[in-house]
Formats: sequence, C-alpha cells, structure tokens
Amino acid sequence: MRKILMTVLLLVTMIFTGCGGSDSAGGNSKLSVMLGSNVVSLDSANATDIASFELIADCIDGLMQLDSDGKAIPALAESFDVSEDGKTYTFHLRDAKWTNGDPVTADDFVFAWRRHCQKAEEYSYVMGDTVACVKNADAVIKGADPKTLGVSAPDPKTFVVELDAPVPFFPSLMTFATFYPINEKFYNSIAEGSYGTSPETFLSNGAFALASYVPGAANIQLKKNDSYWNAANISVDGFQYQVVSSSDNALTSFKNGTLNVVSISGNQVEHVQQDAELSKNLQTFPSGILQYLSFNQDPKNHHAGALSNVNLRLAISNAIDRESLVNNYVVNGAKATYTAVPVNFAPNAKTGKFFAEDQKKFSNVVSFNVSKAQEFLAKAKAELGKDDFDLQLIYSNDGGTSTKIVQAIKSQVEENLPGVKINLQPMPKAEYLSNVTSDNYDLALVDWKPDYDDPMTFLTLWTTSGCDIAEHWSNAAYDKIIADCTTGDLADNYDARWNALYDAEKILLDNAVIAPLYTGSNAVLISPNVTGIEYHVAGVDRVFKNVKLK
Amino acid sequence: MTKYVAKRILMSVLTLFIITFVLFVLIRIMPGDPFPVERMSAEMILQKREELGLNKPILEQFVNYMSMLLSGSFGNGTSLYNGAPIKPIMTACLINSFKIGVLSILFGTAVGLAIGIVAAINRGKFLDGLCTIVSILGVCIPSYVFMIFLQYFFSYKIPFFPYFFDPSNFLASSIMPSLSLSLFAISTIARFTRNEMLEVMNSDYVKLAEAKGLYGFELIRKHVLRNALIPIVTVIAPLVVSLLTGAMVIEKIYGINGVGKLMVDAIAGQGVDYNYVLALSIVFSALYIGAMLVLDILYGIIDPRIRLATKEG
Amino acid sequence: MRTLLKEDFEFISDRDISVDENFASQGYWKGVAVHFFRNKFAVTGLILVSVIILFAVFAPLVSSYTYEQIISVTDSSGKEFIAKSLSPQIGASAEQNFFADRTFLFGTDDMGRDLWTRTWQGARVSLIIAFVAIFIDMLIGTSYGLISGYFGGMVDNALQRFIEIAGSIPTLVIISILAIFMEKGIGLVIASLLITEWIGMSKIARAECLKLKEREYVLASRTLGAGSFHIIFKQILPNTIGPIITQVMFSIPVAIFTEAFLSFVGVGIVLPQCSIGSLIEAGFGNITILPYQILPPITVLAILMLGFNLIGDGFREALAPKLEDM
Repeated sequence: MRKILMTVLLLVTMIFTGCGGSDSAGGNSKLSVMLGSNVVSLDSANATDIASFELIADCIDGLMQLDSDGKAIPALAESFDVSEDGKTYTFHLRDAKWTNGDPVTADDFVFAWRRHCQKAEEYSYVMGDTVACVKNADAVIKGADPKTLGVSAPDPKTFVVELDAPVPFFPSLMTFATFYPINEKFYNSIAEGSYGTSPETFLSNGAFALASYVPGAANIQLKKNDSYWNAANISVDGFQYQVVSSSDNALTSFKNGTLNVVSISGNQVEHVQQDAELSKNLQTFPSGILQYLSFNQDPKNHHAGALSNVNLRLAISNAIDRESLVNNYVVNGAKATYTAVPVNFAPNAKTGKFFAEDQKKFSNVVSFNVSKAQEFLAKAKAELGKDDFDLQLIYSNDGGTSTKIVQAIKSQVEENLPGVKINLQPMPKAEYLSNVTSDNYDLALVDWKPDYDDPMTFLTLWTTSGCDIAEHWSNAAYDKIIADCTTGDLADNYDARWNALYDAEKILLDNAVIAPLYTGSNAVLISPNVTGIEYHVAGVDRVFKNVKLK
Repeated sequence: MTKYVAKRILMSVLTLFIITFVLFVLIRIMPGDPFPVERMSAEMILQKREELGLNKPILEQFVNYMSMLLSGSFGNGTSLYNGAPIKPIMTACLINSFKIGVLSILFGTAVGLAIGIVAAINRGKFLDGLCTIVSILGVCIPSYVFMIFLQYFFSYKIPFFPYFFDPSNFLASSIMPSLSLSLFAISTIARFTRNEMLEVMNSDYVKLAEAKGLYGFELIRKHVLRNALIPIVTVIAPLVVSLLTGAMVIEKIYGINGVGKLMVDAIAGQGVDYNYVLALSIVFSALYIGAMLVLDILYGIIDPRIRLATKEG
Repeated sequence: MRTLLKEDFEFISDRDISVDENFASQGYWKGVAVHFFRNKFAVTGLILVSVIILFAVFAPLVSSYTYEQIISVTDSSGKEFIAKSLSPQIGASAEQNFFADRTFLFGTDDMGRDLWTRTWQGARVSLIIAFVAIFIDMLIGTSYGLISGYFGGMVDNALQRFIEIAGSIPTLVIISILAIFMEKGIGLVIASLLITEWIGMSKIARAECLKLKEREYVLASRTLGAGSFHIIFKQILPNTIGPIITQVMFSIPVAIFTEAFLSFVGVGIVLPQCSIGSLIEAGFGNITILPYQILPPITVLAILMLGFNLIGDGFREALAPKLEDM
C-alpha cells in the first residue's frame, strides 16, 4: 500500500514539475481585473479600505480627479477659485448627471459632506483639522449641528468650502472618495441602511455604473455609464472585478487568461522574472505604503518598559538589514526606506522633488550598521541595568509578506543584538488593531497607506493627540511644528512649512519613535492588450477611466 | 412519539435561547472593536460605542437584541457592508453555501456508502484494500489543497471548468468545490460504513439469516444496512451541518460568496462585526440543533430499541 | 505392620492440578498483542508510524541546520545570499552557485531554511499536539458520552443540550477569546483542540452506549447488583473501544488540519516554529510554482495517517477477535 501511495505522490510531482507550461495570457475580449480583498462598503462615509475606495471612484466622480501623473485636475468642478487667504474655495460645477437623470448639484456635495461628519466613521477625520480643515468639521463630528459645517451651495452649480486654515494640498484632497457627492433625493428614497448594497440602491455619476454587485461579492461587474459627462473618452464597455486572495492563484488565473490584470507578490514575482515570456507583462508601481516597526514607549507597559529607552530603540532600528528584507522577502519592487515618509511620495509643488528623495538624510540614526547597533545596545544595557530583553512583536497576518518580514526581522535582530529576544505574535486584523490601539504590545509591524499626497498624512501619526496607534511618545517641539504647519503660522508659507516638516521628521527619527522598513510596491501583471491603467500612491489606488483594450 | 417530539422541539428552542445568550456575552469579550478604529480618536471611538449601544448594561443590550430577533430581524452590521441590514445579505450567502453543500453531501454520502459497502463485502480482498486507500487519502489531503489540484488541472491545464465560481453557470462551476468538499465526507462515511457493516455481519442474527438461506443484496439490505446505519447517521449529521455552513478556505479560493467567507470577513476584517458574527453563529447553531433533533427522531425510526429506551427514561 | 509416619504423607494440594499446561490461558492484553502482531497490516502501520516518530525525534537533532536557521553566505563584496527556494539537492563540489556544496534533501523554503529539518521538526510538533489533545479528548469525550448514553432521560437531555451549546460556538470565536488569556502557540492550539474536538468523540461513545446498554449482559450485570459506574466503565466501555479507536485515528488528522486552519487565520503555531499544518499552509501559497515545498509535509502527513489507520484497524480487530472468525 505504501508503494502505491508513493507512486501516486511521485506521479503528482512529475505532473507538476513537468507542466511548467508558460501559456501566455489569452486575448480575452473582456477586461477582468483582480481585486486583492473584498469591497467592504460602497458608501463613501463607511469605506475604509483600498478596494472600496477604488470601486467608488470607478462609479462616482468627485470635484477633482488625478491625472496619470498623480496631479489633481478638474472632474465635476469645471474650475475653482481660492480666496486671498487660502481659506475659501469656490468650485464651479459642470453639467453632469446621475444615472437616474438627476443633475449633479452643489447640494449633493453639501449633503454628503455633512452626512460624513455627522456619521463620524473612521474616515471622517479627513474633514477635520489635521487634514482638510473644513470649518467646524471637528465640532460636527463630535455631535454639533451639521448645518454649521463650513460648506454651502449658493446656487446649484456653485459649491463653497470654508476652511479653518489654508491647506496647500486641498485640491488634491478632493480626489479622495470621502469628498464625493451623494444624491440626497435618491438616498432618502431608498430603505434606510440599504444605500450601496446593490446596483438598484446605488447611483453613479462617474465613468462606470454597477451591473452586478452584492455585498461581499467575489465577482463585481461594471458597465460603462453612457450619461457620464466625459463618456466620449471612455473606451471600454465595462469590466469586471474578481476577488483573489492568493498570489499563487492570481498568477495561474493570469496564465490561464481568466484575468487580465493581477497583483502578485514574493515568490510569484521571482517566478515571473525567470520566465522570459511572462516577465514582459510585469510592471511595478510604488504603492506609497510605509512599513515600519512601532515601538511602544509607555514606561508602564507591563512587558517592555525597556523600550522607553531611546538607545534600545536605536539599536533595534540599526540592526535591521532593510535591503535584505526587500531583496529577499518582499521582492515585488519595494524600496528600503530610512525616513519616516516613504520614498516616491509627496513631491514638492515647486521643485518636483519627492519629500524623502534623500534617503541618507538621517543615516546617523537610521541605517544598517551592526557595530553601531551594538554600541547603542551596550548603552541601553548600562542605562537599564538589564542584559536580556524579551520583546513581543505583534503583526496582523493577512498576507504572506508580513509573515516573512517579521521572521526575517526576528532572525536579524537576534543575531545582531545578543540578549534581545523577539517573540512573534500573529493575530487577525481586528485583534491586532485592538492591541496596537490599547497599549498592549512591545513592537508592532505597521503599514500605513497615505490618504493624501502630503508628508502630513504620515507625520500627524506621531503627535501626542494623533492616530490611535499610540507609541506613547510625546514631544512638545514635534507637536508644535505639526500644529504650526496645519492650522498655525506656517500653513500658508509653502517653503517654510516644507522645511519645518523635515525638522519634525528629524526629531522623530533621532528619538527612534519608529523604525521605518520599506516603501511598498505593487507588482502587477497586465495583459499586453490592456493599456491605460493608472496607479497612484495616495487616495485612489487605480484608475480605469483611460483604460483601453486592444 | 408525538409527545416526545414536541418535548424535544421545546427543549431545542430553549437551548437555542441559551446559546444566543452565551454567544452574545462571548462575542462582546472578543478582542477587537466592532468597527475599524485605525484612524479614529479615542473620543470618536467612545461616541461610536455609545451610538451602537455598547455602553449599556449587557443584560439590557441582550434584551434589546432578543426583541429585535423576535421581530424577525438580525439588525444591521456594525461595520461590514456599510451597516446594511444583515438578513438579505446573509440569506444570499447561505443559499450559495447550501447549494454547494447539498451537492457535496449527496456526492459524499453516495460514494462513501458505496465504498464502505463494497469494502465490507469484499473484506480482506483487493477491493477492500483499494477502498481503504481511497478513504485514507481523503483524510490525508486537506480539501483546499485538493481544490487547488483540481483547479490547476481542470481549469488551467485542461480548461474544462471555469477558473472561478460563476453563479450564472452554477452547475459547471460548482463541481470542483463540491467534489473537494465531499472528500472528507467520503472517507469518513466509507470507513464507518465498513466497520459497522463488519460488526453487524458478524452478529448472530445475520448468521441466522444466512443459515435460513438469505444471501447477497437482500441480506445486506434487510439485515445488515439497517443496523449498521445508526452510527453512520451519527457521523453524517454533523457532516451535513459543517458542509452546509460553508468552507472558509475553499470559498475564498474559488470566489464563492458564501457564509464561510462571510464569517471570516466578519471576524478577521478591520473590526469584528459583532452583529454578523452573532447572526451567523445563531443560524449555524439553529442548523446544528435542528440536525441533532432530526437525528434523534431518526434514531427512533431506524432502531426501535432506542424509542423503547426513551419511553422508559 | 509399620506405623505410618508423617513423611509417608504428602499434601495433595502441593501439586497444582488446576493448571493445564497443554492449553495455557492468556491474559486479555497479551491476547490482544498476539492478535495485533499477527496482523501484517497492523505491523506495517506500526512500522510506518515508528519510522516517522524516530525521524521526528532524531532528524532535527542530527541535522546540520536548526529548523529556524536562515541559511546564508556572504560573498567577498559583502553581499548576502540567502538559500531560499532551492529545490531538493545533494551537495556536490562543482561550484555552480553558492550553495551547490550543501545538501538539502527536501530543498529549502522561501525564507531560506532547510525543509528537511523543518519537516521533521514540524512532524514532532504536530505529533505532540495531536497526541496530547486527542488523548485528553478521548478521556473527556468517552466518559461524557457513556454517562450521557447510559443514564438517558434527564441526564442525557441536559448533557446533550450542553454539547449543543458548546458545539455551536464558532471555533474562531473560542480561540480569539482564549487568546486573551493565553500566549499564542502550541498551548493555545492544544487548548482550542480540547474545546472543540471532544464532542465528536462523545457522540460516538453515546451512540455505542445506547446500543449496548440494552444488551443481556448489561441486564445480567445489573441484576447481579453492579453499580452504574461499574457497568459503564467495566462492562460497556471495553465494548466501545473499537469505534472509539477508529474515532481517535480519525481525530488525529482532524487535529492536524485544525491546527493548519488556525495558522491560516493567524492563531496557530507561532513562526518560526513549525508544524505539519503550518508547513502545508506555507507550501500552499506557492503550490503551483514551487510544488516541492508542500510535498514533504503532505507525504509525512499521508504516511502518518495511513499508519494510524492501519494500527487502528489492527487494534480494533485484536480487541474484538470475533471479527477474525469471519
């Protein structure tokens, strides 16, 4: 019996290894795109994930949209005026229609914005004073009358926003789904809570409309919206999304011709690179996601009070070989990062240079240097009077890459820093979030996706009152710079603000509040007959408006 | 008998009530908030909890929940699918999982029983060995690995079946997942059938029947199968429930919008959607309890001795 | 006439006439052992399982790598190379790449660790988990099922309702709650297996008990005044061992699979620790491009299962030798 079993297994091996066939992607006439995860919500007030934002942006246009270079260009707004002090924006809307024939009016924006603030879901924060600074947004989020929100519609084609402070990147913010309109009349005509749960309960004014969708659907069909204001420039009749969670599955479905656009990672990328035929279809796009290690510096933290020591943090940060992580385990084109703001992100409006262009800027505190790391560790041991550090590293294992990264970090840190032990603790996303937000960790692997194209989307994370992933680090000078740059004196002085942000980043990294690891990337296989998919680092990930099928 | 069944149903309803309470309390202990918190301030989180009524005493929350359940609603999600009503979404997912589940049960039971019976009749011969290997392989290979094998060969190498689940082409696209799901059922049922059959075939009354001149299929059907079926039914009942309630991994791989996937989304998403987890668990429990109820009643029909025993008890 | 002396007599009881030396009786378990070893399939099963256990115990000890060691070399320019995703190879001195002289019988995984070592380490962990969990499950489940089945009525009703309550809490919910109180890792996996797996065992025991308790020998025993627990554990239990052992044999793969599923949702074995389940899980992600990574753990699992099943069958038949008469 064992013989038979072995023969079967051998046969299986032979079939698998013998069939490394490289069928190139078939010329499927219909565009099928892989979606890495479920769409959680089509309601722009509830959406929190990349997939939802992408689908909403396919179907609804905002005031502005991103062009292929990631610059904000007008969409529903034909043009806009900014007041002298930069605190009032007046958008002039073009003639556009919802799919039910209603015109898109300024009231649709007023309704949506008020509703978002009132609902106070996760992303309502972008209306508030750390980001868009819409007047009274924070008060409305806390329960004030939504009518006090600084938005108004003097006539159906004019939408006016008042801000608490000048926001240099305000137009590019308008490309973000949270700022999109909702048709108030339609919203009130359907059953409560059913908005966006089916093609019938969702209204689009954008390039595409839902053809088939149910919540949690693995397959979503979109059709071209003929009443779209720019319908003449949309060349596909529609396309479909298929949710695929495994990179291996994605690769096979691409080879099979079932899908035309798939994202792959790690081993699959290497496999494709070794295949002459397939590698022609491989493209990489920066995703703007910063992976970093967060250090919990609460001295009262029950198992890691030690991390409140800056030298221990510096030691760990300098003991990690980021190049090795990126080249061996992430592989999809990600870039090792030595700054608190990811590379290829947030270009300066005047010089066009990316904020983190100079990766060596903070090399005295963030680098891979074992001897320096050990010096830091020796100092930490002396200051803390302890020789052994048992640290817990928590991570959410929803993908293969983070699992590999944490293992590599564990191996590197334990090898380079004698006496430091790292215990890995994987957990589902919700549990992970509850741990990082409730002070229940030592080290955490965090990935942060920028919501808008400005360094501030990262730098506000580490203010005392900032994001809920609290490192328990507080620095008055840092808080002051961030406050000055958002609502304070520096807000309307572009150059001074830019330089101040570097100062803030320096404070952050000198104190090793975090250990940046790498900037994420998307490795994508695209069939040769598909062109014009635009990838962006901030806000909406992918845009299909200009996609063409040969 | 009617009185017994009525009593049994009443008990089941009571059990379901207790389960609901236990689940209600347990789910609130689970780590993780019922909504995504990554970008929320502490203030916003408090506000949100208040809005969802999570700061009320747990008993009051439970009473509210029960009154909602009794009015025929499972309420709204706390974060998943923008807090839309749960019932229609869950029903759609249940139907998808049910379809696949029913197919795999039919397939698993038919093949499993056949293999088991063939093996028992040919005990010790080549066919027995072959059946044993088939049934052992079934438990050795996880169904999702088998699913990938099928997918690789029958929709990639030989593009015969669709690569992903396609509700508009239900039959063709449900063969691979139900086949892989039924693997475990086949082997479990086959082995149990074989063992039970052997046990019964060796009993005195079968020998008597043989001595009386009964043989072949007639003997197996009339004397062996009926007695061998009791423990097999015990195995099949929980299998039915577990197959009906979806397979998380296979649903994910093959893109089936079923309850298994829904459960994973509710638990392992950005937040633990309390109401979805609760609604799904209650439905699963109801199914499970229902199956046990049917099982107990079936016992009475298949084996008169048990009915006697319960009457005495 | 000679007087009879004391020496003329001998006690007849000194000679043990009750022992029949031609047909020596055997102890129950000795009989079982004899029957068991006479069964070729059972012995094959035993050998298979023993071989795996031997490898699981000794292979990691004598391997030149540890299971968590990432194998790498640094070339003269200081660039580090990691031996990741190498297919199985036997070391040769011809220098084609940096690792050509090393032997990786099962290849290396995508982290650059030796799969040979990891497979056996994984087998060790999985076996420990399965044995501990299933043994305790067997104790709990069997007693629970027998008591429930034997007493019937109210007791049965109450116990079965409890099972329904316990059985209907989703595994994921139980585990995430357990995870609040326990560190993630082997302990948590065993605990969650304990909580979820005993129910199946108790069902089998109950069904068997329902069948057996109406038998004449139980009635006879009761008439003779035996207590309930004596009947349950001395009269009924030995007769339920067959189905229970079969169930144990089935529970072991279930235990290993459950463990694998737990790693899938992120609460299983904590990496870089490994188990058969987590290795299958890891190989699964690369199954079509690096199939050799999933083969060793699956093969080990298959051999283990085959072995356990054969042993189970052997035991079953040895415990109830009547089957051999057929």
